[in-house]
Amino acid sequence: MAEPTVYELSVAGRQGVDLPLLDVPESPLPDGLARADNGLPELAQLDVVRHFLALSQRNFGVDTGFYPLGSCTMKYNPKITEELARLPGFARSHPLQPPETVPGNLALMHQLQQWLAEIGGFAAVSLQPAAGAQGELTALLMMRAYHAERGETGRNQVLIPDAAHGTNPASTAMAGLDVLEIPSDSRGNIDRQALRAACDDTVLALMLTLPNTLGLFEEEIAEVIDLVHGCGGLVYGDGANMNALAGVMRPGELGLDLMHYNLHKTFATPHGGGGPGSGPLGASDRLRDYLPGPIVVAKPGAALEAPEYAFSTPDKSIGRMCTYFGNFGVFVRSHAYIRMLGAAGLRDNSYHAVLNANYLRVKLRELYPVPFDRLNMHEFVCQGRPEGSDVRALDVSKRLMDFGFHPPTNYFPLIVPEALMIEPTETENKETLDAFAAAMGSIAEEALATPERLRTAPHETPVRRLDEVQAARQLVLIDPVTGRTAVEG
Amino acid sequence: MTAKRIGFLINPIAGMGGRVGLKGTDDALARALELGARPTAHLRAGETLIRLHGLLERQVPAVAVQWLTCSGPMGADALQAAGFTAVEVVYRGAKTTTENDTKAAVGRFLERGADLILFCGGDGTARDICAITAQEVPILGVPAGVKMYSGVFGVNPARTAEIVVGFLTGSLAPTSVDVLDLDEEKYRQGEWAVRLCASALTPYEATFTQSAKALIAASTEADVKAEIAAYLLEIIRDNPATLFLLGPGSTVRTIGDGLDIDKTLLGIDAVIDGRLTGTDLNEGRILALLDRHPRRKLVLSPIGAQGFVLGRGNLQITPEIVRRCGRANIIVVATPAKLARTPVLRFDTGEPELDAELAGAGYIPVVIGHRRRRLVKTQL
Repeated sequence: MAEPTVYELSVAGRQGVDLPLLDVPESPLPDGLARADNGLPELAQLDVVRHFLALSQRNFGVDTGFYPLGSCTMKYNPKITEELARLPGFARSHPLQPPETVPGNLALMHQLQQWLAEIGGFAAVSLQPAAGAQGELTALLMMRAYHAERGETGRNQVLIPDAAHGTNPASTAMAGLDVLEIPSDSRGNIDRQALRAACDDTVLALMLTLPNTLGLFEEEIAEVIDLVHGCGGLVYGDGANMNALAGVMRPGELGLDLMHYNLHKTFATPHGGGGPGSGPLGASDRLRDYLPGPIVVAKPGAALEAPEYAFSTPDKSIGRMCTYFGNFGVFVRSHAYIRMLGAAGLRDNSYHAVLNANYLRVKLRELYPVPFDRLNMHEFVCQGRPEGSDVRALDVSKRLMDFGFHPPTNYFPLIVPEALMIEPTETENKETLDAFAAAMGSIAEEALATPERLRTAPHETPVRRLDEVQAARQLVLIDPVTGRTAVEG
Repeated sequence: MTAKRIGFLINPIAGMGGRVGLKGTDDALARALELGARPTAHLRAGETLIRLHGLLERQVPAVAVQWLTCSGPMGADALQAAGFTAVEVVYRGAKTTTENDTKAAVGRFLERGADLILFCGGDGTARDICAITAQEVPILGVPAGVKMYSGVFGVNPARTAEIVVGFLTGSLAPTSVDVLDLDEEKYRQGEWAVRLCASALTPYEATFTQSAKALIAASTEADVKAEIAAYLLEIIRDNPATLFLLGPGSTVRTIGDGLDIDKTLLGIDAVIDGRLTGTDLNEGRILALLDRHPRRKLVLSPIGAQGFVLGRGNLQITPEIVRRCGRANIIVVATPAKLARTPVLRFDTGEPELDAELAGAGYIPVVIGHRRRRLVKTQL
């Protein structure tokens, strides 16, 4: 049953709060600004509490169930990091405070920069980008500045494999550059013959999602990097899938020039609600001077004194990517997370993320075809159409909700028809993975025996299947004040 | 809900020539029968209809279909065999059917308000139907002919049934595609020439694009074509005093819409600085333009279902024209949905050396969106 909106629950005259006594002289509003009805809903406090509690109970998150949404790393975020981020010293500091009054904050940012640089194998890190895609854009702007300084302004092509994140072409467009898509080969690697054909003096960079959206590690990565460097291009790593690699290998040491990290994925800060994210960027020695500032630098203190921290912007910096200093609250959580785990803990996380994903791939591959069936990293892609059935990936996903699981990512990457991209993460135990595999097994049986059960799913959720085509094509806008309805499409 | 009307017809002789090595059946039925050909189209139609019947039974909410069809082997028999009951025979064909029967039947379907015309046949049948529907009503073919270069066919009977369901439920929107057929006159003179004859509407699968982290949005073919056209307009703007030869086909035609010129669908038109300077050009006129304009670009789109960039439906572009333009000045455009159907691009200029040069190192960049190209495999 649908929960009514607060506007539908509103009854004229109900009141939830008493305004405090006026402590300034009363003065009338200017003529024409007073309204008899401002259109706000009128509810008692209990109505409001029940309404929002009801909504919250219908929410689904990692804290309520298994959430194998591929490419999103929906892992458990330890609650202690929330407590630390709420410490008044962090939570109440103001971005306009003089930096010397918040040395602890600067020390934390500095340490996080250093740790991320070490984890990724880069010379320097900027915490400026406030999201993964902003990290991509930052990298593109830096690479353009790098080439421009060398007089190579004709480099406007960005090579993007077809198994890359879909944000890569979008960031390229935003940077005013051209996309050249490179096909994958039969093992899910970059088609190196095509890459060779594409490498010339118009190439600005290759954007390499590592591991790619098939969950596969590029098997000939050294050759790929050499090819691009050989034609004068740079190599950017999309580090959104770093949850497979942190503590195990350092992409910077492979020769990647830049890479962004998703703190809100690999480093366990809340996401999925639209933010706040954080996409720090690591740079190799030849690109570090172009990083956006301000970056925190440390001057060694006198004997027995703590170092002095200050903000500084690199010489050839492309400038700021956001106001102030990035999403500081996210830094605190990730800092605590890295500190709790240590190097060995991060490495174990990666191992377990990879192990869990491979375990599920092997459990499911007899039922759901896996087009690139080889050792995968933290996620894998199968087809949501069991052999001999004609259901679609979307039907399988909708039915999964009846079993209490969040659906995997659907229809991405685009190179696998009926794709289901499954990323279990390291924080799930074997019992949960087995329960998920059992549900997928039941659904595969239903797909053959009673496919209409899938096509009409979900059956057990508060809201049944939505008409997504209609929802996308015909938007209905309702003005709550006037009650006027506008239909588009 | 009101029932959608589907006009359904089978070209009973479609495909018969193929089995006995002929290049079509339209003009050669007697010869095909003599060689032992047996009708096969009704089998393909049956396969599609049985599948469709099964899919429709499972639709929630139910989808109502009213069939308009032809008597006996031209449609009614197959619909009845598949279990459909809401069938109205609106045309009675001759004992031995010809293209006139196809055209007359489609005329009746349109009079009766058909929303879609589903047919079973090949390129010849598609061409005859388009002559009557004229881009007004979408058509969809169950592949059953000898030649199927046109973009109106499902890849197999099962997929064709799914497309019908997609159309009925509104998830697949009609888009324009190329209809091609063998130039029979040239063929009789010993030349294999596939001609672009028309443009037809057909229900087409949308292109999936990733619009946000885990949100995949579907954009229609029309949206994607408009995006490609917008990019080409920028290229035309950034290349002043350059001759742009715009090839045939509906994707390239969209560029004409953006320039506000009447780009011919089937012909080659010339544009300089956004202005139309020649229309429906033949080889001689193109060569004359090339003499006068040292800066030139040739804009082509793969025509039909086999991925031919040259050699099908654009024979006006002769090897000499291609050579004088040069590979670097050829801009190939295609929507991702079209490339999904034709994953390999081919060149057949009639000169193998030139074809090899065009195929390059096995890949050619194809414009698939605004400032967005894809390296696509080429094959000789």
